[in-house]
Amino acid sequence: MRAIPTLKISISGVRGVVGDSLTPTLLVRFAQAFGTYVGSGTVVIGRDTRTSGEMVKQTVVAGLLSAGCRVVDVGVCPVPTVQVLVRHVGAQGGICITASHNPAEWNALKFIGPDGLFLGPGPARELLDIYHQGEYTKVSGAEMRTVEELEGATDVHVRAILDALGPLPARERKLRVVLDSCNGAGSVVTPRLLEALGAEVFTVNTTPDGLFPRPAEPLPENLGELCAAVREHGADLGLAQDMDADRLAVVDEAGRPVGEDYTLVLAALYVLGREPGPVVANLSTSSALAAAAARFGCELTLSKIGEANVTEEMRRVGAVVGGEGNGGVIYPRINFGRDSLVGAALVLHLLAESGQTVSEILATLPPSFVVKEKLACPSDKIKVALRMVEREYAGYPSDRRDGVKVLLPDGWFLVRGSNTEPIIRVVAEGPTEARAREIVEQVFARVRVAVTS
Amino acid sequence: MRPLKIGITGVRGVVGETFTPELAVGFAQAFGTYLDGGRILVSRDTRPSGPMARAAVLGGLMAAGCEVVDLGVCPTPSMQLAVVRAGAEGGIAVTAGHNPSQWNALKFVRADGLYLNPAQAEELLDIFHQGEFAKATWDRVARRVEEADAVAGHIETLLKSFDAEAIRARRLKVAVDCCNGACARLIPRWLEQLGCEVLAVNDDPTAPFPHSPEPKPETMAQLRAVVKAGRADVGFAHDADGERLGIVTEEGTPLSEEATLALAAEILLPRRPGTVVTNLSTSGAVDIVAARHNSTVVRTPVGQAYISEAIVETGAVLGGEGSGGVSLPRVHPTHDSAAAVGLILEHLALSGETVSAAAARLPRLSMVKHNVKVEPNQIYSLLQRLRAQAEQEGRVSDLTDGVKFETAGGWLHARASNTESMIRLIAEAPEERSARDLVDWARDRLKR
Repeated sequence: MRAIPTLKISISGVRGVVGDSLTPTLLVRFAQAFGTYVGSGTVVIGRDTRTSGEMVKQTVVAGLLSAGCRVVDVGVCPVPTVQVLVRHVGAQGGICITASHNPAEWNALKFIGPDGLFLGPGPARELLDIYHQGEYTKVSGAEMRTVEELEGATDVHVRAILDALGPLPARERKLRVVLDSCNGAGSVVTPRLLEALGAEVFTVNTTPDGLFPRPAEPLPENLGELCAAVREHGADLGLAQDMDADRLAVVDEAGRPVGEDYTLVLAALYVLGREPGPVVANLSTSSALAAAAARFGCELTLSKIGEANVTEEMRRVGAVVGGEGNGGVIYPRINFGRDSLVGAALVLHLLAESGQTVSEILATLPPSFVVKEKLACPSDKIKVALRMVEREYAGYPSDRRDGVKVLLPDGWFLVRGSNTEPIIRVVAEGPTEARAREIVEQVFARVRVAVTS
Repeated sequence: MRPLKIGITGVRGVVGETFTPELAVGFAQAFGTYLDGGRILVSRDTRPSGPMARAAVLGGLMAAGCEVVDLGVCPTPSMQLAVVRAGAEGGIAVTAGHNPSQWNALKFVRADGLYLNPAQAEELLDIFHQGEFAKATWDRVARRVEEADAVAGHIETLLKSFDAEAIRARRLKVAVDCCNGACARLIPRWLEQLGCEVLAVNDDPTAPFPHSPEPKPETMAQLRAVVKAGRADVGFAHDADGERLGIVTEEGTPLSEEATLALAAEILLPRRPGTVVTNLSTSGAVDIVAARHNSTVVRTPVGQAYISEAIVETGAVLGGEGSGGVSLPRVHPTHDSAAAVGLILEHLALSGETVSAAAARLPRLSMVKHNVKVEPNQIYSLLQRLRAQAEQEGRVSDLTDGVKFETAGGWLHARASNTESMIRLIAEAPEERSARDLVDWARDRLKR
């Protein structure tokens, strides 16, 4: 099989491998295209801690200045901080330099609109058209604007969270929390936020050097160091971020990862207890969230996968909280995007106010286990495989908005082709881990037949 | 005609038209590839496109695996000295020198602080055109942009090169016009170190160029007024990046840019006879001065790289060009207006004579310059035609750089500009009339 290209230009932005496909020329052109798209307005830029971040930033600055933009550089900071800052400074857009959970050799540009949200499919297509047409706004030296380095960008974000949620209620003993920022962008601000909330903070992997101490996704298997630290410090919980600090996972007081799909559940329990209202998540979300919403008599709507789809649906129904099962919590009162800092503040507030431990809170929900697996599948076979799975499970209710989701009597599964790699992803939920794995295996068996047929 | 020139002096164009960030990134990648990584120093002048070009250059160098040191706004010769001092692999100056504000350019410096020579520049161009650049992987790419100051080191070197004590003792009053360029960060400080009373105009590096950054008599009106009003001993006019120098005498008279090198020779050679290197287009005044002081002149094609190389080769004591660029090998063999300032002030201090008295000893020759704009693809065929005409009329040509021939008491030089799409005609003779006749002769033949 020929090598899979590492460059991916899509409505999610441009992503590639440094030293390979993500060349400075490409980056400059994308920045020029974005500068053209925002009409030479103000653009906020920020980056995660990847080793290539500074190189990428310089090329982006050059492209934006050439297109006549004013550039506000907020330096190393979480993706949600850039989103907050776009609105804070009244910018016409933002660029995040981050490949979120991809390994260290990757980097990417993600584009934010004037509302602080990532560009939706329509605007993103317009940007791609400008990029491909290659005719960018080029201003003369006399019209060229400047780069402003904005100190204290993260303070703006922290203040927004404190203003909205306030400090933790006073307790006999401070909440003890261990933070694992994966040496990513969360390192530069999350400890400060947690302390400002009133927690006692211990840290692992908060050196913002971009050297990955563990795989960036906050999956249970990547959190061994955090779990050990929670036990060692006798902490109430552990919090794990990914590289750009949009996703968050929780470790309970016994040092056990609770699974990243429970982050949104915990956050929703706190929000709905104070301000009941609609909840939105994507198709691949734990049924525990449905139980949490039901407890407060709130409606849960499931959208297609993808942050843009979730936020769009949240706007439509006026959701008070939403997000994704990958640990992405969206709390529109602070930030209309996945925000691990907001997620952390909500989870701490839940613990502080309830006086319960993480495991005690989770025990009030029906047991459910989510398992995620992927299987190699040539791109041209993906559709065939999905159709075969669909036929096999024709007797069960299903949802075909995004891949195939099948509702089983004791669980569900969602099977879909990846947008970025020749693989098929399966997410399954069952009352026990064994049952969830069994469902995955049954689906994979179907896919294998399709691939080899 | 597209305002872009890619050649042995680097890449130069108009921002917003031809000098794009992609071009700057590509050249920086090519230079990083050419040097095979290592530390590269980056300086820039004050034009408003500087930050854009700087960012493109830093990004391109980092992507090619270089460590980068940003010197910020400083004169190009400050960067050149810093490259040597830091033991760096090379440097890039983001400056279009004497070109107007809307231009920008990249100039490439190697580890010895001198510009790439023509063979090296050709190689860089080949790498650029081939487009296959070194690419640093994530574990190799530089993680930060270092920052450093090159001006303090430059002044330190200058102080060691001149008799600062003697200059301080004279308490000279010096007027200076930095054209709001990079020299604003160097020249006033340098003059204060020499105990001068400084009357500075246009010394704000954040303000736009108040006039063309080419130090010629027609751009020195403001400086002349300052010299007169302040009763200064001398006035100095600088270009945007600290290579060219224009001089105003204590009487407020501006000297031609052609006189800067001749005056430097007239000052230096009596004490230090030797070889003077200049280009084919520079006034013959320097030959007359050199002959007077038992010295010789070596002529090169136009371009600083040729001058520097010939200085090193011949062990020359002085180099320079008719544009006002002076190279003093005792500081470094490359144009440095701060070094030329030091030489002149040292002479005033040691001799006690005035600038106008020294200038009065320079030969009186008339030079006429005329630029003929031509399509880029016709430059060389037109020069060939001129050569054929000259030979037909029995004139013996020097073909080192375009066409040059001598007549009784004068000479004519026709060459392709290194920076713009034009043929430059320069003639010199004792009488202006004869020089004009020579230029007219060439212009008629180019137009035919």
